[in-house]
Amino acid sequence: MIYAQLAVNGLVQGLVVGLGALALTLVFGIARFPNAATGDTMTFGAYAALTVHKASGSLVLGSIAAVGGAAVLALVAYLAVFKRLAGRSVVSLLVASIGIGFMIRAGLGIAFGHQQQVFNVPLSRPIRIAGLAINPLDLQLAVVAAVALAAVFAILYLTPIGRQMRAVADNRDLARVSGIRPERVMTAMWLIAGGVCAIGGMMLGIKTVVAPEVGWDMLLPIFAATILGGIGSPVGAVVAGLVLGVAQEVSTPFVGFTYKIALSFVVLLAVLLVRPRGLFGRIEGVR
Amino acid sequence: MDAYLAAITIIALIYMLLSLGLTLQYGLTGLINFGHVGFFAIGAYTSALLSLQGVPLALSIPAAAVTAGLAAWPIGLISLRLRDDYFAIVTLGFSETVRLVITSEKWLTNGVQGIPGIPRLFESISVGIGAQLAVMGVLLVVTLAAIYAMRRIVASPFGRVIEAIRDNEEALQALGKDPARFKIQVLILGSALAGIAGAFYAHYITYIVPDQFIPLVTFYVWMAIIIGGVGRVSGAVVGTGLLMLFLEGSRFLRDIVPGVSEVEMASLRIGVVGLLLVLFTIYRPQGLMGDFTKR
Amino acid sequence: MSLQVSNISKAFGGFQALSGVSLEVPTGALVGLIGPNGAGKSTLFSVISGFMPPDEGSISFDGRSLDGLSPAERARSGLVRTFQVPREFAHLTVRENMMAAAPDQTGESLVGLFFRPGKVREEEQRLAEEVAEVIRFLRLERVADQPAGKLSGGQKKLVELGRALLVKPRLILLDEPFAGVNPVLIGEIMERIRELNGRGIGFLVIEHDLEALTRLAPHLYVMDQGRILTQGAPDAVLADARVREAYLGGAV
Repeated sequence: MIYAQLAVNGLVQGLVVGLGALALTLVFGIARFPNAATGDTMTFGAYAALTVHKASGSLVLGSIAAVGGAAVLALVAYLAVFKRLAGRSVVSLLVASIGIGFMIRAGLGIAFGHQQQVFNVPLSRPIRIAGLAINPLDLQLAVVAAVALAAVFAILYLTPIGRQMRAVADNRDLARVSGIRPERVMTAMWLIAGGVCAIGGMMLGIKTVVAPEVGWDMLLPIFAATILGGIGSPVGAVVAGLVLGVAQEVSTPFVGFTYKIALSFVVLLAVLLVRPRGLFGRIEGVR
Repeated sequence: MDAYLAAITIIALIYMLLSLGLTLQYGLTGLINFGHVGFFAIGAYTSALLSLQGVPLALSIPAAAVTAGLAAWPIGLISLRLRDDYFAIVTLGFSETVRLVITSEKWLTNGVQGIPGIPRLFESISVGIGAQLAVMGVLLVVTLAAIYAMRRIVASPFGRVIEAIRDNEEALQALGKDPARFKIQVLILGSALAGIAGAFYAHYITYIVPDQFIPLVTFYVWMAIIIGGVGRVSGAVVGTGLLMLFLEGSRFLRDIVPGVSEVEMASLRIGVVGLLLVLFTIYRPQGLMGDFTKR
Repeated sequence: MSLQVSNISKAFGGFQALSGVSLEVPTGALVGLIGPNGAGKSTLFSVISGFMPPDEGSISFDGRSLDGLSPAERARSGLVRTFQVPREFAHLTVRENMMAAAPDQTGESLVGLFFRPGKVREEEQRLAEEVAEVIRFLRLERVADQPAGKLSGGQKKLVELGRALLVKPRLILLDEPFAGVNPVLIGEIMERIRELNGRGIGFLVIEHDLEALTRLAPHLYVMDQGRILTQGAPDAVLADARVREAYLGGAV
């Protein structure tokens, strides 16, 4: 029974990781590089939501601000930096993304200070469903995540631009030859990735705390989930995020509180060495 | 020479050792190691713990180098199987995991509270400025030895092969040479240098905590070699000098400009590092000292 | 028999790149491999040189099976390949590119480099002389001390050839030695290949440029869509209607 409880506890964490992994896998699959600024973009989203929530008392407004702000931030990063590095080595893009993450984190630190802040949400008593204690806040957050995911998947699978994004992820040369304009696909991709980061960051902030490093600290689990799920697979990213989040919580009685984060590293390494394409990925060159 | 100058020089030499190690791994061989600070930490904690058990520094510092080098061996094996960006991510995860282990294994490392009272070099011999100068002297000798060794490597057939690996690994294979043992050796050697740097660091500041071994340190070193000029020993030296200018300069700034708190300066530093990484990657990837050519 | 390729097949996902390809290069022969773009020639080279495992079939060289051997191991046994897009060590000079190719250098081990400096120096001197000769042979003296990345396409191909020579190969897989090379240099490269072949080094040459290859190779294999279409002397092969069709898509 305790494991079921731990699993439920891990759900929100898993959704946070899953959202971050979704953003990362979109960029990895379409722009073909690991975006190390993903975590810090999530932190940005958390702060944006926090600020607007403090000012307006409305979480809805907060999330709109977060999504809008982070989407714009991601797009600016693309236009100012990543676009200029198009055609350069993956390493260049990776190092640049580290730099961008640092800049975001620095800006947040200067603007908001380093101490941890929390969302002013009313405490609620857990409700009991099927013998498990479930926090209503967790349920609300899960619903928010589900809505965000539904929106993203709807865009990816039901709209023309989503189809184009998937085509570029599948086979970039073929996509270019069939007349898909890369500019539009990139713009859409960065906006969506930013928005997804924002939701994940906001959830993380609500569930835990808001501080400049919280997003960066999530990078390792997010990378692990992206690779476990298979690079370029949005479904894989989310599923893997949930699996990792739940596994992290369930492993706590065995490995202790601090080491559950090490689980991500072990998973990352194991997948890369044993089955590089992860659960749902294509055969991509890991070597 | 006054105490302040001696202090900066000591830190500069420690960073120089780190830069030389990373230059060997990335600049010469093309390996993307984002986990350099992890080996720095292993060296620091190894020497600190051994010396507190009574092991003389003349033994504990080499032991730190060996431990850090050995820890690099599995990382080397992993590098053979992964593309460079994946390897970068794994090494980043490695250094964070090292920090995690240091934080958790309180019985060994005293966890977040760290290890105080680490013996200094020359502790029994003298105190004050004399001891500091002596430490600086030892470090200078070690660093010069490392620079000499690196230059010998660069001018040697070994150096040729690792640069060939950086430039085109598959072509080297097609000529009958297996990159594997070279990559592993380079990772071990570069990490051993980081371990030595860590040991000297521990015995200099005498109090180490896990929070000193964060990825920011790795990226300080990356920034140093990117700005100084990747792939050149002179670049590592110049880059380290500029890094020290940056770190000390920012401290001066804070003393002069009122109203900037310690944490704000810390944020500013991170921001500047980020900005420089981006700018140099876009506009001058070969750094200030120029192309990879050995001169 | 020098190189024997038997029944090689290779598929990528749903795409069959090679089907049942078999060919032979007798010791010291100069054989050409032609075919339209996408015929699978470079893929075949990648399989022969060990960069890709075949799905089916086997390869042997000088009587030894190559199955399971790494590219480096194959090169060490005398089978060296060059690349279609030149893979020079861009930041090393032309001279250094070639010196890096020579096998069994004491200075390539850290122990050797630090503890046997005299031997390393001696080997470097001998190597330098050998490399100087290769540079002279390839007429690359003028650019010998420039970074290889700054050379023209044709010159880079010569550097690749020079590197291959320093491995003392018995068979060189030349991948499109004339592609993107200015016509004057093509003649030069062809001369060098003939001279080397005269010294006993075998060649299997991929070339898309029909005219150039028919001047060079006395025996040709033709590939199309992953299969060997036909083989024979240049005149016979070019007269073959199937070959013309493969290249020209049916127009005669």
